[in-house]
Amino acid sequence: MVRTALDYKGKLKPTWCPGCGDFGVLTALFNAFARLDLDPNNIAIVSGIGCSSRLPGFASTYGVHSLHGRALPIGQGVKLANPEVEVVVVGGDGDAFAIGGGHFPHAARRNIDLTYIVMNNRIYGLTKGQVAPTSDVNFRTVSSPYGNFEEPINPVAFAISVGATFAARGFSGKVDQLTDLIVAAITHRGFAFLEVISPCVTFNKVHTYKYFQEKVTPLPAEYQPDDRTKAIEMAQVMQDVIYTGIFYRQEKLTYHDWISKIMEGVRPVTPKELVLSQK
Amino acid sequence: MVLGAAAAGVRAMTSSSSPGISLMQEGISYMVGCQLPAVIVNFMRGGPGLGGIGPAQSDYLQATKGGGHGDYNLVVLAPSTIQELVDLMKEAFDIADRYRNPVMVLADGIIAQMMEAVEFKYEVDPAALPPKPWAVGGAKGRPKNVIKSLDLVPENLEKYNWMLQEKFKRARANEVRYEEYMMEEAEIVLVCFGTVARVAKKSIEEARKQGVKAGLIRPITLWPFPEEPFLKAIPKSKKFLVLEMNAGQMIEDVKLQVCHARPIEFKGKPGGTVFTPSEILELILSLEESK
Repeated sequence: MVRTALDYKGKLKPTWCPGCGDFGVLTALFNAFARLDLDPNNIAIVSGIGCSSRLPGFASTYGVHSLHGRALPIGQGVKLANPEVEVVVVGGDGDAFAIGGGHFPHAARRNIDLTYIVMNNRIYGLTKGQVAPTSDVNFRTVSSPYGNFEEPINPVAFAISVGATFAARGFSGKVDQLTDLIVAAITHRGFAFLEVISPCVTFNKVHTYKYFQEKVTPLPAEYQPDDRTKAIEMAQVMQDVIYTGIFYRQEKLTYHDWISKIMEGVRPVTPKELVLSQK
Repeated sequence: MVLGAAAAGVRAMTSSSSPGISLMQEGISYMVGCQLPAVIVNFMRGGPGLGGIGPAQSDYLQATKGGGHGDYNLVVLAPSTIQELVDLMKEAFDIADRYRNPVMVLADGIIAQMMEAVEFKYEVDPAALPPKPWAVGGAKGRPKNVIKSLDLVPENLEKYNWMLQEKFKRARANEVRYEEYMMEEAEIVLVCFGTVARVAKKSIEEARKQGVKAGLIRPITLWPFPEEPFLKAIPKSKKFLVLEMNAGQMIEDVKLQVCHARPIEFKGKPGGTVFTPSEILELILSLEESK
């Protein structure tokens, strides 16, 4: 059976503002699911809190709309309990790098087989426009009236530095490329991180579609995503050009590979036996 | 950050709305253990979990009975107007300093989102604040201060905890605040705090006009919970009516005061909706009929 993007569409209409970048992500995500012909009954979309974290409500797949900043631990919980489920964790940059910042490195270095899509709008949109961990220096918001003076986190560079085995960047204004990237992230064995530049049209009047359309450029054709140092260098280019594409990809044992290795030769105990042995 | 700033000896505060306050419980418990004064403001919304963003009073038990781990209490102040919120903020800092313990200001979302003209009746002179010789920093010429809550010797920890309990006992004796509204000869006694109390006043005025002897006890400190107005009210009262924007939390403390002396009725709104004056009036009138 060949599925179409519509098979993943939920009954609820997205509550995002007209023109929100997250619509592009939702479309690309459904396109990617369809291209991989994934069974909606076998997908769990897990999110935290924020505009983008409402995404699971708009899909026909399973989902958990969870705690602020805790999408990754909850996504890992789902994957640990049922490794057969395709886990896609989604959320915003505040969810991922402010309150959830402590969880990110450990999910990445654990190389657990899930996909993490962070929609980056460089601002807190849901709460009406406060400075975010990804906001530029000098960026003025209601909570940084004299301009931001904290260095922004570069999501892709951060992900690579803490051990993500897949790190990519897309732009919600380029849905075809974004679909390719999501397909690559989902099919990657291990922790796959995808940053999506997803403009907030309501509260971020600096980092607009136009701003990004002038800067976003695919990584050079000859670029090879196998060198961590080079990948971090390319991810940090932010001035006139912002690269999109796969910065880094590495085949490595996943969390479940390690568990299988440890379990080799160990006779599995069935739940029934466990209950009996307790008696 | 609040813990750090308080440890450095300055007046520090933070504010959030329900889920954020849940997240802070560990820090609050540590601040009590470290004897650090601070003010924590919670504008409650409907819970549990993410709940909604409508106003609620569903964190009453969390605020008054602990929330974090360990044997402790916070003085909990519950304003019912913005003017009172402004006035209580100064008191909150003073109480925190007095007992070297965090103080919580507990209000519902309505108070956070409403606008009202207020008067700042006080000025605070930072130079006149009580000295904090226990704070970290500036140890020149004296032994250094180390702020901690760890004590691995059970006997010592027990002693320390009894010392903390002495402070809570002093707070119980000295910090109780409440308002009695139209309590003369009151037969139907409403017990409400925060916004609900403000709405209830209107209904009580109307009930009195109709010849129904209704009155209001409004705890301003939810911990320590007032006892006196209940002792005073019980003899003349016929029924108590507890109204809360939750599923029934303060009613536990009201029961401790009224015991089985009088019947206690309860009506709650646990989802983010607010009582209207006519709704409360109807409740009062129905109690009047059945008394």
